[in-house]
Amino acid sequence: MHNIVSAGENAVLIYFGDKIDAALPEKIGNFANQLKNTLSDVIVDLIPSYTSLHVSYDLNKIAEQDLRTKIEQCLTQQESQSSLLESNTTHIPVYYGLEVGLDLERLLAEKNLDLDAFIEIHTAQAYLIYAIGFSPVFAFLGEVDKRIQAPRLATPRIKIPAGSVGIAERQTAIYPSDSSGGWNIVGRTPIDLSLNNSENIDKFRVGDKVKFYSITRDEYLKNGGLL
Amino acid sequence: MSFKVIKSSFLSTVQDYGRLNHGEHGMSQSGVMDEHAYAWGNHLLNNHFNDAVIEITFGGLQLEAQADTFIAVTGADLDFKINNKSAQIWHGLQIHKGDVLSWGVPKSGVRAYLAVKGGFDTSVLFDSKSVNLREHIGSKLVEGDELPYTSFDEATYRFIPPQYVPNYNQAIVLRILPTYQFNDFSINQRDLFFNQNYTITNANDRTGCRLSGAPIAIKKERMISEGISYGCVEIATDGLPIILLKDAPSIGGYPKIGTVFSLDLAKLAQRQPNTKLRFELMNIHEAQKQRKKFNQFFEISF
Repeated sequence: MHNIVSAGENAVLIYFGDKIDAALPEKIGNFANQLKNTLSDVIVDLIPSYTSLHVSYDLNKIAEQDLRTKIEQCLTQQESQSSLLESNTTHIPVYYGLEVGLDLERLLAEKNLDLDAFIEIHTAQAYLIYAIGFSPVFAFLGEVDKRIQAPRLATPRIKIPAGSVGIAERQTAIYPSDSSGGWNIVGRTPIDLSLNNSENIDKFRVGDKVKFYSITRDEYLKNGGLL
Repeated sequence: MSFKVIKSSFLSTVQDYGRLNHGEHGMSQSGVMDEHAYAWGNHLLNNHFNDAVIEITFGGLQLEAQADTFIAVTGADLDFKINNKSAQIWHGLQIHKGDVLSWGVPKSGVRAYLAVKGGFDTSVLFDSKSVNLREHIGSKLVEGDELPYTSFDEATYRFIPPQYVPNYNQAIVLRILPTYQFNDFSINQRDLFFNQNYTITNANDRTGCRLSGAPIAIKKERMISEGISYGCVEIATDGLPIILLKDAPSIGGYPKIGTVFSLDLAKLAQRQPNTKLRFELMNIHEAQKQRKKFNQFFEISF
């Protein structure tokens, strides 16, 4: 069921499954919290991702074999417990305009959708956070409705403006700061998700949810959005 | 009191041991590229293991001291001078107000470390002073920057036994631990990996080190992204290795053939593009034993 492998002289990787599964992120997020509570004196860092949890530890405080035994004990306990944390949903306003949605016009043509229909599909569901990575505060959200899925650009853009909302295959995400990238850009949020505001560090958590809502050009500008 | 940057260089940044506890927020580990040289710099001055230093890549930096204190320069020989006179590296030194510290071009190695007694007192960003340009955390040193430190009139040094001063011109072998997807690689793939000389390419920076050589044929192009360890070796879709280093993203989706022993990464940090290297399998218990000893000696504890 679980599989633990070494990831370095001071790190192990716990696999919770071998396929992307909507049930895993919350489970992995909860388990990360449980480990933080019970093994805080030996654990240095935790990286939850789609199907796994990376655990780095202080090898001067615990041997790998002892850590593995303790992790296995926690895993057994977890199976008999229900969820420890309620998942939160963060609501993010997005201006779906052609002037900020750099790939929107092409996508609408390819998908044979009008803008309202596209917005309705993209904003319909609360997306699950499967992983945080690529850069700080960058949350991988899924799964995108089949009608608006699109492959990554063949040539990534050198600069995608902060706040841009993109789609890559089954995933969608917000670029928290200016960055290079190959996702299809469909809109932009006026909200500052960059580390200029240090509170953003905790904005998203694996297992939580994100729901987008559409705002007008005026609302976007009024809330500090840039064109 | 502070050092004032008189002349900036290609890449000089403030670094400490790293930003170790923000992986779940998608942050890199960051921190010094050469843990050996860094640890000695702080040790020579009786500093804390995590005290912040300046990591100087390829030289070209000039600083003016605005107060008396004690320093130690370790790592690469970048033609370090005080007031235009060659000065000793791997050694504690007293400096005075008005002294100009300069680094020229690399004679041996790539990265030099300037440690100051008590550490640099720059701002703590997400629990670390380490600058990470990829993540827009802090910035590289530019002319006019001030690097604050506490002034000292007295200090005791420690000394480094000469056998611990590395020779960065020596050939390197990177010892690798069988981790991640090691067992998913076939005997033939592993043989090709361990029995060839790779070359460090120009794509070699704080994020990672890309190697050129004979490509390994691989089946799966991408896998599900998972947490990255410092030094893990991805085999990219072209069949060639990328060693992920301090500023690497926290997760990645290429298969990984193993993880380089951390103290060998300190040696890699001092090699220029076009250097040849090879990999050798290492027992993980042996790696843990050696690293534990290193941590105990330098009092590295979290």
